[in-house]
Amino acid sequence: MTALTDQIALADTQRPAQRRGPSKGADSLFRGAAYASAIIVLLVLAGIIGSIVYGGWPAFREFGFGFLTSSAWNVGTEQYGALVAVIGTLASALLALVIGVPISLGIAIYLTQLCPGWARKPVGMTIELLAAVPSIIYGMWGLFIFAPLFARFVQVPVSNLVEGLPVVGTLLYARAPSGVGILTAGFILAIMIVPFVASIARDMLDQIPTILRESAYGIGCTTWEVMRHVLIPQASVSIIGAIMLGLGRALGETMAVTFVIGNANRLSASIFDPGSTIASRIANEFNEADGLQLNALMALGCLLFVITFIVLIIARLLTRRVKVA
Amino acid sequence: MNAATTITPSVRQSRVRPSRRTADRMLRISCTLATVLGAIVLGSILLMLIVEGIRGLSPTLFTHPTPGPGTEGGGIANAILGSLVLTTIGIVVATPIGVMAGTFLAEYGRTSKLADVIRFLNDILLSAPSILIGLFVYTLMVRPMGTYSGWAGGVALAIIATPVIVRTTEDMLRLVPGTLREAGAALGAPASTVIRSVTWRAASSGIVTGIILALARIAGETAPLLFTALNNNSWFNANLMGGVANLPVMIYQFALSPYPNWQQLAWAGALLITLAILALSVVARVVIKPQRAR
Amino acid sequence: MSTAAATAATEALTQPATRANADSSAPVRIAVKDLNFYYGQFHGLKNVNLNFHDRQVTALIGPSGCGKSTLLRTFNRIYSLYPEQRAEGQILLDGTNILDPRVDLNDLRARVGMVFQKPTPFPMSIYDNVAFGIRLYEKLPRAELDARVESSLRKAALWDEVKDKLKQSGMGLSGGQQQRLCIARTVAQRPEVILFDEPTSALDPISTGRIEELIEQLRNEFTIAIVTHNMQQAARISQFTAFMYLGELVEFGPTNRIFMNPEKRQTQDYITGRFG
Repeated sequence: MTALTDQIALADTQRPAQRRGPSKGADSLFRGAAYASAIIVLLVLAGIIGSIVYGGWPAFREFGFGFLTSSAWNVGTEQYGALVAVIGTLASALLALVIGVPISLGIAIYLTQLCPGWARKPVGMTIELLAAVPSIIYGMWGLFIFAPLFARFVQVPVSNLVEGLPVVGTLLYARAPSGVGILTAGFILAIMIVPFVASIARDMLDQIPTILRESAYGIGCTTWEVMRHVLIPQASVSIIGAIMLGLGRALGETMAVTFVIGNANRLSASIFDPGSTIASRIANEFNEADGLQLNALMALGCLLFVITFIVLIIARLLTRRVKVA
Repeated sequence: MNAATTITPSVRQSRVRPSRRTADRMLRISCTLATVLGAIVLGSILLMLIVEGIRGLSPTLFTHPTPGPGTEGGGIANAILGSLVLTTIGIVVATPIGVMAGTFLAEYGRTSKLADVIRFLNDILLSAPSILIGLFVYTLMVRPMGTYSGWAGGVALAIIATPVIVRTTEDMLRLVPGTLREAGAALGAPASTVIRSVTWRAASSGIVTGIILALARIAGETAPLLFTALNNNSWFNANLMGGVANLPVMIYQFALSPYPNWQQLAWAGALLITLAILALSVVARVVIKPQRAR
Repeated sequence: MSTAAATAATEALTQPATRANADSSAPVRIAVKDLNFYYGQFHGLKNVNLNFHDRQVTALIGPSGCGKSTLLRTFNRIYSLYPEQRAEGQILLDGTNILDPRVDLNDLRARVGMVFQKPTPFPMSIYDNVAFGIRLYEKLPRAELDARVESSLRKAALWDEVKDKLKQSGMGLSGGQQQRLCIARTVAQRPEVILFDEPTSALDPISTGRIEELIEQLRNEFTIAIVTHNMQQAARISQFTAFMYLGELVEFGPTNRIFMNPEKRQTQDYITGRFG
């Protein structure tokens, strides 16, 4: 036995005196390429910020702080202010959250707690596919399917009902019930953020240890009580993070909103009325704009970036805290 | 209550108060309704596209370019080809950069401050409004070159695809067990060899999924193309200078136009592009399956 | 153990291991001198001094967290993948200090092979797994490469089980087969030293037996260091045993002496199972 292996050893173990190592050059070249690619990401973001600040600067210089507070947007007199677009952006995104978050949580709860096992995959897939539908398709659906139904079954009856009443009479009164407007944009945005928020919330609920869930059911809790007292509090911070991510998307969404918001530069107290958002205004006017109008649109882009940046940072801080804990 | 216990002493009364039951039932019903609503929306979108789009499907759709204003007939062949060209440029540019940057974050930058910063900036870029990317590429390319171009459109799409690929590549590489890297290093393989022949291979299905998802994402993007590739009602130049027809911008312009034949073409294009993107998304999810199972 | 499928070559390898006695006169292959190791602030190894003899199996034993794996991982400097880990002192491999920063790490690791706790087959074919390490350092003609892969798989007692499916993925093998594949991959590189880090802890008893017999065979060719939790295993397969506790080397000597006649109280307590 020893003789056999010794023979193999003799025949086979002539070690190379000097090993021809893999080239060091290729290794550092690869590392350099990875490093450079990562730097490109940094440069692109810097370029985005730089280009909109550079392009928007003349408008900020011309109007100063008044750019934020003015509701004017007049190409003829070259007077530009961001107020209508900023309010439209914030209002439509907040409406989207108010409508979309409960639906998202409902879907997440359904998928994690109520859905029978066999249906979990197909139903989850259906919701995820909602995220894949291009925003322009949402725009067409909103304009051609949702808006007419909304005008007929919601705007007209509600307007008739509230006409003349204080507060709600202004907030929910449609001067021209066409179906498009801030609230319609909010609805479409809500549908668009639902798959994002729902899938993150579902993952968060799934991550909660089963033992916690089982012990809550074990003392006789109903599904509602388990959600309300055990699961939602456990996952709340990260769910808020997910909601902020959804908000970030809603704020910057362009095409769907452009279809359904009505694109009016008018400050209206009614959420049934047409308005505009920063993104929809840029999409509508940028190609025909030049001079100060172009600068003003770039300046609007800056504001949009600042708003989404803040929201994303909050989302990031919330989701990171969860990872550490 | 006293009466109830004396009349049926053998049957234990449920201790779940009616209000608790009601709350629970409400929750179950509303959660189910929310899910049904989601399914209805997806269903009605598909139904709308099929009903409106199927009438527009014809052989000329794939052979003729988009007609001019008020011109009858025509197809969307130029927009289909343009979309293929633009997304190809986008994904071809974004894939090497995204995979390499994701590799940097997962393999070289685990403890470095720079990697933390880039990871954060990549997340910002991932969620940044796509219209701002259009503004950036307009400033970077369209303005200096003096013309809209397919190249500008491709670059804009690449910028949108890159952070998606960076993120999925990093996540998937992190799932590769560290012992596999140690085993590679223990054989005397330099870091780059271990990454290329071991970790990339182990994470390959996940990385490919990320690329397909990025492809699905940019295929339907409209906003960044408005200021970069724009559109064109004829065949575009071979050098891609000038406006390049593409499905999303074509759909946007034609759907809101007053001409019935344009609207019909928009619906047909919308049907095609949505089916293509949904198919890509389904494929991506099927590809990732073996990865999860492991 | 089933010998029905085994051929002559594997039969020789599956004989009950007959452990040779310690040969203290064998030349010293690795000399550890005043070795200290740090995980960031944590002092993982404290002034370790120890010799590993040529073509002998040296077992490192001790309770969890005693530093035995840490010590093993200094011999190929695999720890340097993690920036917060560092070693001080000297480890002489054939007289050269491998802790010297000028040492080429890749070359060192080709000379000092390692087999891990869990099998680590690469996501490629069985053939490519074994050829991976060879291709890094040598450009061989196809026929020669084939021969090297075959002889490595034979040495790892795996050839007969995989010779008909060399193109299939290495991930498809059983746990014990995967571990032998990793041994073949290490052997194929013709290292001088092979490090085993609890190589059988993830395996069933039958696979464990085969790996132990294999190590006994490999001793004829390689200097072997093995970390093990299992004291019976250390007694079965090693010529020398080092007992470690809390980052210090408590006792080192021929395995027979350490197990029959330990000098230190702690060693005796651990071996007799009074703590650990």
